[in-house]
Amino acid sequence: MGGFVGGAVSGDDVVVAGSGAVTALGVGMGPLWEAVRTNRSGLEAHELTVGALTQTVYSGRVPAAALDVLCAETPDLAASRPALLAVAALREASGAAADRIGGTPPERCGMAVSTTKAHVEALWRQVRGESVPELAARHVRPARLAADLASAFSVKGPTVCVSSACVSGLLALAQGARMIRSGAADVAYVVGVDLCSYFVLSGFAGLKALDPEGCRPFDKDRAGISLGEGAGAIVLTRGDAADEGAVRLTGWGSSNDANHLTGPSRDGGGLALAIRRALDRSGLEPGNIDHINAHGTGTTFNDTTESLALRSVFGAGPPSVSASKGMFGHMLGAAGVIETALCVAALGTETTPGSPRLREPDSDAPAGLAREPAAAPGLRRILKMNCGFGGVNAALTLERGRS
Amino acid sequence: MNAPALLAAGLVDPFGFGASASGWTEWPTGIREAIRRGEVDPVRWSLVSDSDPARFARMDWMCRLGMMAAELLAPAWAGLDDAVRERTAVCVETSVGCLDTDVRFARAPRPSLFAYTLPSTVMGEICIRHRLQGPMVCLVSMRAEGRQALGQALDWLAGAEADVCLCLACDAVDPGHAEAGRLSGIGLPEAWRAAAVLLGRGDARTGGADLDGVDLMELAARACGRPETT
Repeated sequence: MGGFVGGAVSGDDVVVAGSGAVTALGVGMGPLWEAVRTNRSGLEAHELTVGALTQTVYSGRVPAAALDVLCAETPDLAASRPALLAVAALREASGAAADRIGGTPPERCGMAVSTTKAHVEALWRQVRGESVPELAARHVRPARLAADLASAFSVKGPTVCVSSACVSGLLALAQGARMIRSGAADVAYVVGVDLCSYFVLSGFAGLKALDPEGCRPFDKDRAGISLGEGAGAIVLTRGDAADEGAVRLTGWGSSNDANHLTGPSRDGGGLALAIRRALDRSGLEPGNIDHINAHGTGTTFNDTTESLALRSVFGAGPPSVSASKGMFGHMLGAAGVIETALCVAALGTETTPGSPRLREPDSDAPAGLAREPAAAPGLRRILKMNCGFGGVNAALTLERGRS
Repeated sequence: MNAPALLAAGLVDPFGFGASASGWTEWPTGIREAIRRGEVDPVRWSLVSDSDPARFARMDWMCRLGMMAAELLAPAWAGLDDAVRERTAVCVETSVGCLDTDVRFARAPRPSLFAYTLPSTVMGEICIRHRLQGPMVCLVSMRAEGRQALGQALDWLAGAEADVCLCLACDAVDPGHAEAGRLSGIGLPEAWRAAAVLLGRGDARTGGADLDGVDLMELAARACGRPETT
């Protein structure tokens, strides 16, 4: 897998050329956006048994019927669910981008893959004495999954694999943007994928971080997260501000709380740093942002911390805020990519998403928290942010050109 | 921007450990072997600084090795004030990451181990220890030579997104212990080493280093005076 060393940063803009998704809502951006439009949740209850403990958990798993279709389309990948999901999302994104990226030589294409645990389910099964297909075992290692995805899309330019907890997706988008701006690639495929695995479910269950009734980000009765699985893909390419209606990735930033391994800093200072860095890079002021798509996991501390960070940057009157994990769950390494794809669609349709499963906002929820989607004529700039274990924070800004 | 300045380097490998400030220390039987035989208490051995031994004892081996390499930069850490630490970036590159910890967790899930089932956790441990809040990323590559981490650090410095960057290449697979290596098809290289370098922006006083395409492991080994024939 070839990396790259950044060169001089050019003034070229980084444009979103296409998006793709596989989520609990189904295969494609279509079902995902339909769920946004109707504020529908794809979370479902199921039994989780780890050792002697059985409990009911809500999660956003890709529907079995959708998996069957994908396996029929790409039978050679049926043995590796992360590859199956990632390839499906990448196919949709590259198809949507075909007009912009068609004919780009493979040497000028790069790939950034984000995942926290790749095919850890195969490891879980092997440890329990089950045999697993060779491809599944191979994809336990994230770097191998990334190399195979790059090969599947004939990428011969730089390939990087980001595994930085739940900010992996946003950092992979930043890596893709860096490839374009440094001149290392003309097209960057960015794909995030993670599974709703027993491994991860048992970890969060052990931390008592799963909401037994399904996650409700920023709700007064929130009690934890719901995991999701799937893949999100975004194709980035070079463009300029004159591209009518195109969505540009204008800024990105990251930071660390330097405070705690599994909990956010209580004052939101680390996340505020990441937001300010993204705004600085894009040359925007807080007042220029029209909408914010929050991390919004549904844990007590995360949501409170986010509210404090937003108050610190935007003051008492932030723009409208949405939280999407009540729709498809927390997709970990894929979260940043899928939620950014959702934001791109929001800009394209001039519609701000809502916050599915939200009943009654907590008293400390962001002032602009939206329960329902809303038409937003003139919507131009969205801030997206995520936080993760190890105290990592990331934010990026998207801007739609005037059409 | 001037070429970046190499502020400090640290290296831990199966044979010994070294720092650019103090040179290379070879362990007679090899440090990894000595730990395995119980001749060296890794927790006590790690006390090259005033870090918390109880916290160190809780970590998995990837975090321990990464922390050791970062601690070996100690003289340089002391020179960074709070404002610089807020703008000190961290880029970690690993190949195997925490796969051995994953196997231990899969055998017996427990909350205290779960946080260490992410390859980026070493980044969090180092940031907590040294109060670093700059840009962050953890990259997974096939060989973890540190070229990608160095490339990212050079970008952050060139773009004035960070004043100082810590680059860490780290893997902790002990073939004598690696449970993941016994699972079929996963395939693990033998890699038990961590190299850390601290880079700053070069100026007329510090000069600069040409780091384009450099292997981080080799860079740290040279800076620490590690003999090539070990």
